[in-house]
Amino acid sequence: MEVVVLLAGVVDPKWRLDGLALRPGTALVEETGLPRRLSPFDEAALETALKLRDADPTVRVTAVLVGGPANNALLRAIAAFRPHRVFRIGGVALSLWDPLAAVRLLGAAVAAAVERPDLVLMGREFGDGDDGALPPALAEAQGWRFCGLAHAVSLAEDGAVTLRRVRGPREEVLRLRPPVLASITNDRGNRLRHPLLKNVMLAKREPIEVVAPPPDAPAAAPALALRDIAVVPPPTRGAGACRFLTGPVEAQVEELAAFLRRWRAAVGG
Amino acid sequence: MRRICALVPLGDPAVADPFAAVAAAAAIAARSAGRVSAILLSREANADAAVAQAAREGAAEILLASHPALPEVPQTDHLLTAFAHLLRMEAHEGLVLLPAGPVGEELAARLALRLDAVPLGRCTDIAWDGRTLTARRPAYGGRAEAVLATEAPLCFAAMRRPVETSAPAADAPAVRAITLDVMLPGDLPPPEIREPAADRPRRPEGARIVVAGGRGMGGPEGFAQLRELAAVLDGAVGASLPAVDAGWAAVAQQVGQSGAFVTPELYLAIGLSGTPQHLAGIGLNTRIVAVNSDPEAEIFRVAELGLVAPWQEVLPKLIEKLRAP
Ligand SMILES: Cc1cc2nc3c(=O)[nH]c(=O)nc-3n(C[C@H](O)[C@H](O)[C@H](O)COP(=O)(O)OP(=O)(O)OC[C@H]3O[C@@H](n4cnc5c(N)ncnc54)[C@H](O)[C@@H]3O)c2cc1C
Ligand SMILES: Nc1ncnc2c1ncn2[C@@H]1O[C@H](COP(=O)(O)O)[C@@H](O)[C@H]1O
Repeated sequence: MEVVVLLAGVVDPKWRLDGLALRPGTALVEETGLPRRLSPFDEAALETALKLRDADPTVRVTAVLVGGPANNALLRAIAAFRPHRVFRIGGVALSLWDPLAAVRLLGAAVAAAVERPDLVLMGREFGDGDDGALPPALAEAQGWRFCGLAHAVSLAEDGAVTLRRVRGPREEVLRLRPPVLASITNDRGNRLRHPLLKNVMLAKREPIEVVAPPPDAPAAAPALALRDIAVVPPPTRGAGACRFLTGPVEAQVEELAAFLRRWRAAVGG
Repeated sequence: MRRICALVPLGDPAVADPFAAVAAAAAIAARSAGRVSAILLSREANADAAVAQAAREGAAEILLASHPALPEVPQTDHLLTAFAHLLRMEAHEGLVLLPAGPVGEELAARLALRLDAVPLGRCTDIAWDGRTLTARRPAYGGRAEAVLATEAPLCFAAMRRPVETSAPAADAPAVRAITLDVMLPGDLPPPEIREPAADRPRRPEGARIVVAGGRGMGGPEGFAQLRELAAVLDGAVGASLPAVDAGWAAVAQQVGQSGAFVTPELYLAIGLSGTPQHLAGIGLNTRIVAVNSDPEAEIFRVAELGLVAPWQEVLPKLIEKLRAP
């Protein structure tokens, strides 16, 4: 069973982004100096793959980090979890903004990992610019079965992939024949484990494998071009100013209760 | 006149607001001298109420397509086959919108690939300058906005219902009905539906009040109190991503950029710092009341009422007071 986990990383969400802009004369976002880490969904996808490996010795896990050399530290952090193989694909000029180009790159990433994947895992959002379009687009481009927002994945005796997800009001269990692509959402059951210190040290010394992305078709203007990117202030909400309750906590709680009672009466509850 | 096509998947309980794309299309059409056509897909041929709603939301042309072989709870692959078939007949160029949410977003991406079009993702705004379409999208956890441009003849996007509704089309819409006979994928095992547990929490979508907790709740006991508070207020419990990761709340309760998008009248944010990723899941018209032990917490910048104290000093008394007749 060949499992490929595609990882993208995000700019550390705690880091201020002030001045985020395009690199002059390009359609690439200038991210130099911004620390990158795995997103919660990269972590969930990676943990899902590691759990499958732990449960079944015939599972082979290849972890692929999509990104340029700025991601090497992240690549070593992934290597510390000891997937069977780990490599990075992409150069300095990598951009995932055009979904059609991104899907070509991700397809090439999987092809560089294994000849015939059984299960491809990726986070529900892929990097800082995707809102969940890339996983279904990749599955569609490759003709793989797709399950979005799975939170638990296991392998059945008969070779099918069993996926659990919440879809609207119901919880579904899907049994799909490989090849399957699943996008993974965070859950208590797939929080990324801590790597062993010994493996962290090992990963620091090991050489990094880098795979060159396939050359783009000549004159391939992106179907969708990034024209601009800028930090936006949070949208304004409500009246703007927060009224802080004052006085002893007991009185504040009474005031909050009164507020909620009035609200309940107003909505007729 | 520019034609904007909104797809309306009917009868799937996983699509919270099936007409959102019609309302979004109407808002775009109002700004760009466009005309909205809605394609409704359902199992049943008589869907008068749905046709009337599409008209109210601003559709000038309505196509009601029914497919009797659609399962009661359709899978995305069924909707995909039926919509792809319809669009091959109905829309070779222009903009096609789907309702935001897991089903609509998956459909938008896969339809675009299937029909050699450009997937735009979940957009907040779309406009044209001559032949160039520009789409605006949040990025970097809602902290930045990306502007994307394309000249592609056919594009797919997912959109939410706009905050302000536009006036409906003045004239009565042109309505057509067709019965589809396209072969639906027959090799799809239907998903096994898990029986909901008796104590399964109510989903935060659609509730008039959401009582939400974050990492500051510190453990499952805090969430037990939130459930009690939600029960006395007839509301639902929401959670931040770290609270779901910790197992204090279920996956379906996560609110945010990567979770439910909720638009209750009131959002009680307890032990939540107010990150952009979390706030992205709360509608702009929702009033926020916050309880947090840190007076500097960002959540107070967006709340209209704030109480600075640890929840332990607030919730037990609050629940008791609200229970009192
Ligand atoms: C790609 C990506 C997607 C994400 N998507 C989402 C998403 O959809 N939803 C989401 O929520 N997050 C999301 N996140 C995570 C997000 O970045 C934050 O980590 C998260 O929102 C913080 O959650 P929190 O407010 O519960 O925790 P914290 O930021 O840790 O805040 C805890 C708060 O509790 C307060 N507190 C502590 N003790 C008490 C007490 N006793 N009483 C009262 N208050 C107390 C603290 O003062 C603090 O303000 C995403 C992150 C990434 C990278
Ligand atoms: N854009 C930035 N430039 C320099 N320092 C930053 C930036 N963003 C965050 N920091 C600091 O980085 C440290 C790590 O932040 P935190 O992850 O919140 O502990 C804090 O001291 C922040 O103030």
